[in-house]
Amino acid sequence: MMDEYVVSVISNMGMISFLALSAYMLLLTGEISFGQQAYFAISAYLSAMATAMWGWPLWAGLLLGAAAAAFAAGLIGVLTLRLRGLYFSIATLAFAEMVRLLFVNFHYQVMIDGEPVGPDGAEGFRDIRWIFEHNVSAFEYMAIILAVLTVVVTLFFIAERSRLGSIFRMLGEDPLLTELQGLNVIRYKVLASCLSGFIAGIGGAFYAHFATYLEPQIFNVMLGVHGLVYGLIGGLGTALGPLIGVALDIGFLEAVRAIQGYRMIVFGGLVAVLLIFMPRGILDEERVHWLRMTWRRWRNAAR
Amino acid sequence: MTDFIQNCIDGVMIGSGYALLAIGFTVVFGVLRRLNLAYGPSIMLGAFVGALLYIQFQAQLFTVAIATVIVATLTGMYVERLCFWAIRRGAALASMVSSFAIWMQLEEMAVIILPERTYPFPALTDLAPIHIGPYFLRSEHLTMFVVAVLLVIVVHTVLYRTRFGLAVRAVSENPDAARYMGINIDAVMFWAFAMVSAIGGIAGFLILATDQQVTPYFGLWATFKGLIAMMLGGMGSLPGAILGGLILGIVETQSLWYLGNDYRDLSAYFLLFLVLIIRPGGIFGHALSERERAALRRV
Repeated sequence: MMDEYVVSVISNMGMISFLALSAYMLLLTGEISFGQQAYFAISAYLSAMATAMWGWPLWAGLLLGAAAAAFAAGLIGVLTLRLRGLYFSIATLAFAEMVRLLFVNFHYQVMIDGEPVGPDGAEGFRDIRWIFEHNVSAFEYMAIILAVLTVVVTLFFIAERSRLGSIFRMLGEDPLLTELQGLNVIRYKVLASCLSGFIAGIGGAFYAHFATYLEPQIFNVMLGVHGLVYGLIGGLGTALGPLIGVALDIGFLEAVRAIQGYRMIVFGGLVAVLLIFMPRGILDEERVHWLRMTWRRWRNAAR
Repeated sequence: MTDFIQNCIDGVMIGSGYALLAIGFTVVFGVLRRLNLAYGPSIMLGAFVGALLYIQFQAQLFTVAIATVIVATLTGMYVERLCFWAIRRGAALASMVSSFAIWMQLEEMAVIILPERTYPFPALTDLAPIHIGPYFLRSEHLTMFVVAVLLVIVVHTVLYRTRFGLAVRAVSENPDAARYMGINIDAVMFWAFAMVSAIGGIAGFLILATDQQVTPYFGLWATFKGLIAMMLGGMGSLPGAILGGLILGIVETQSLWYLGNDYRDLSAYFLLFLVLIIRPGGIFGHALSERERAALRRV
């Protein structure tokens, strides 16, 4: 059996990867969002309410949370259609902070076994005990997270090689050109927004049941910016990029406990230097293309 | 009505600090077309050095102010070289993410200098509040406001009455054309950045000396207050940044008074969201040109 600590680090990396993938999805379409933490939060709260207060199973709570997050993201997608660049970023930031501050004022509790259960504003939402009540071990829960993550990344791979992936990338390069191809830009932008909300929502639902405790302060802008940064550091060429970003940050930070107290100084500097040489991340489009070509040549030679 | 006017007075005073932060963002964004997330944390590092001098050596108010501004400016120069000058033009996203990485670095440095959560900061003045009829005015607020007004005049003079200001405006307008006119773009960007960091240092000092305490959250706070004020007024415009700051100050004090503490930030974000959706150019932003409108219609 794996060390409890390692299991919790890997679970954390898995959950934050969903957030990074959702930011990456929007980066592909050329938008920088400071607000993905809102969808993470909406799904975390809603799925936890579903399992802890209404007695739903985890998978149903997760689907409900992610669907609600996708709906919210779609709505924001429609409202921010006209905005580009920094305007879009700040509008998503304003939305996410509104969501967080609304959760500060959100009280909804029911009595279960003589104890009040449910979100209690700034006091937070305690006792989200589904995984304890159903005897899911930390290791099993980690396996579930990683399995779902694998499915999502595989879908990303399929989508990126399909027409949809090309359209998203074209949208990121030049929306006007996309429109001239006879494509409905509005529909694809809203679709990208919904999908990114759904992916962030999956992460949020997992997080709620992993942490067993939610408070609005967790979902501040720092969380969203971290997701965005992971999306870029890893590289914009492949869906593995965000995972590399997460692994670099969380994995690296856990590995270098020796320089505790100085690690952000070292890591922050390393990222800044990395971005000078690789402004589109480690696995950017060019490097991914080169890797693919090399792999193909190597395979042909082996035949 | 008395309350409403009193809130407006307080709001304008607090908003003058926001306006200074917004000017920093507007000038850097105008010149570089990139976002510096490390703006607030640079100011915070300056303030932490100032607070250290105050706590360890009982430094005078003026010394603390000088230390804050100098460290904020030097940190700003470091950020410019590492995150903006070194990363080629066009990679705006990389610059922003890089400035975020440096943010993390600066925050950790500040925590190493002073590891506690809050530290005292010297008071701006110890004069009694001024009474004007039914209204009163905190003397710290008045000092902040007066210094802010003077600074705005200085910035305006620099931008519109000097050769350096002309170069800054030329680069904002069109970097390529500015280069063909023989302007050293890199130097203009560097000194504009340094100027803005110094303004940020002064703004940070004034705000913290009014609150009389400093925390590591000040970096986050300053970055986002400045950004919001800039976006409210309209990006890239000096009057927009000032008015955006004042409006943010007034909205905050009014909603604090009438709705309570929980709704202060919520109202500010709600207003920002509405403004961006209804009038993306900001309340006082220039109307979009016909060509821009046509492009937006198509998209």
